[in-house]
Amino acid sequence: MARGLKFLRSAWPVVAALALLLLLWQFGAAALDIPTYILPRPAEITVTAVAKWPLLGNALMVTLIEAIGGFLLGAAIGIVLAVLMILVPPLEALLMPIAVVINAVPSIAFVPLVLLWFGLGMESKIAIGALAVVLVVLLNLLAGLKRPEADAINLMRSFGAGRVGILWRLQLPAAMPGLVTGLRVGLARSTIAVIVAEMMGAYSGIGQVIYQATGQVDYLTVWAAVFVASLGSLALYGVLVAIDRKLVWWR
Amino acid sequence: MPDPTTVPAATPHLQLVNVWKRFGEEPQQTIAVRNVDLSIEPGAFVTLIGPSGCGKSTLFSMIAGLLPPDSDGSLLLKGKVQQDGAMLGKIAFMPQRDLLFPWRTVLDNATLALEVEGMPRRKARAKAEALFPEFGLGGFEQHYPHQLSGGMRQRVALMRTFLFERDLILLDEPFGALDALTRSMMQRWLLDIWAKHRRTVLFITHDIDEAIFLGDKVVVMTARPGTIKCEEVITLPRPRDPGVVTTPEFMAIKKELLAVVEEESLKTFAAVPA
Repeated sequence: MARGLKFLRSAWPVVAALALLLLLWQFGAAALDIPTYILPRPAEITVTAVAKWPLLGNALMVTLIEAIGGFLLGAAIGIVLAVLMILVPPLEALLMPIAVVINAVPSIAFVPLVLLWFGLGMESKIAIGALAVVLVVLLNLLAGLKRPEADAINLMRSFGAGRVGILWRLQLPAAMPGLVTGLRVGLARSTIAVIVAEMMGAYSGIGQVIYQATGQVDYLTVWAAVFVASLGSLALYGVLVAIDRKLVWWR
Repeated sequence: MPDPTTVPAATPHLQLVNVWKRFGEEPQQTIAVRNVDLSIEPGAFVTLIGPSGCGKSTLFSMIAGLLPPDSDGSLLLKGKVQQDGAMLGKIAFMPQRDLLFPWRTVLDNATLALEVEGMPRRKARAKAEALFPEFGLGGFEQHYPHQLSGGMRQRVALMRTFLFERDLILLDEPFGALDALTRSMMQRWLLDIWAKHRRTVLFITHDIDEAIFLGDKVVVMTARPGTIKCEEVITLPRPRDPGVVTTPEFMAIKKELLAVVEEESLKTFAAVPA
């Protein structure tokens, strides 16, 4: 009960802002006499979205699974790499240049290769999503793990703590805000990468729906897909806020 | 009954013999600590004072085992020579800043050292909880450090140090950042705690009054390269109350020490890079 109220209180500005935007769009476009084939009205788009829900709902599900799957896989790899680099410092010198070189190319550029290796199904999208996430999680977590000053590390050493003890009791908790930042950016990057990859080759998913509808000059469906994708992103954002509260509990 | 002063000295709790710390190679070498000989008797409260930058903290790091002394000197704990790093985990060390972990409650900050030692969390908490009233922190167990005042944070850090039950405690200017009023309250409180728990204490400060008020012995360090200039045994009776600082005895000691410390402080100003 109290929790529901709290949620309402924090969610209402978002809802109000969205409602305002849609109203402005609906009546502004009509007032300015913009043709509907250039800018369809939100009401029309919503009607289309509802009518095409079996297609769009299914596509959203596929995209969300791919985006979350890629995010989880990429975050896990990034976290493991960061921890290894802290425990075995030479690894950082060895692996970091490789990671940076791979990251210098936008992850989207790897889509054709990944499609070739993993096919048109979900696996290729998860791989691309993961690729988009690894480095941002790795860098943010690594920076966080290095944040504790020498004094704090020395204090732990004076208590007789070893490397793992220092990592567990000092560096990891200190790195949580950094990790949360990495996860936030990572989830957004994973979602973008997955949708773009779907446009370049997929059996299903929001990106593929957009791609096909564009080919059929069905812009209402394109817009409906964009709406549905936005709703999905909003839900993901809610998940992130929850993660944030769990990982940085002391603020 | 034998007079305690005539009993032959027991093995010192901590002994430094010809301890040096040099940084860098010959022409550009910096000597931080030079030829320090110091011994501290069991149960004594020794204060160490010197101009800023005199190598006090370097000396402390070496005693804590965080930094190895140069090989020509040695460090003895209860008569046993300590090799590099052997001091880690053997003494309770409190750095200048409280270094409380913001993600831990006051209670869990206090138990940090116990947890590192592998004590189960519940047992560690029970042990710490018993000390809260004595440290003036009753009712604050579940607060986070950012909710506490500077004096309280320092008491939490001290409690963390005390709970790490080593009979030698190193305190590096623990009250340096506190206002004068809080500081004098903390000094009296520290003496009470010390009288009750009787551990050996080595306390760094740059405040002469503090050094005399707290110590059984005041050790004065020279300007860099730091070495021991003189030692002054303080015979003011214990327990000491705050009024002691205005007695002629206190003033006499202070006058004497002030002259020595001033002389060293002036050297740090006059110092010309060699």
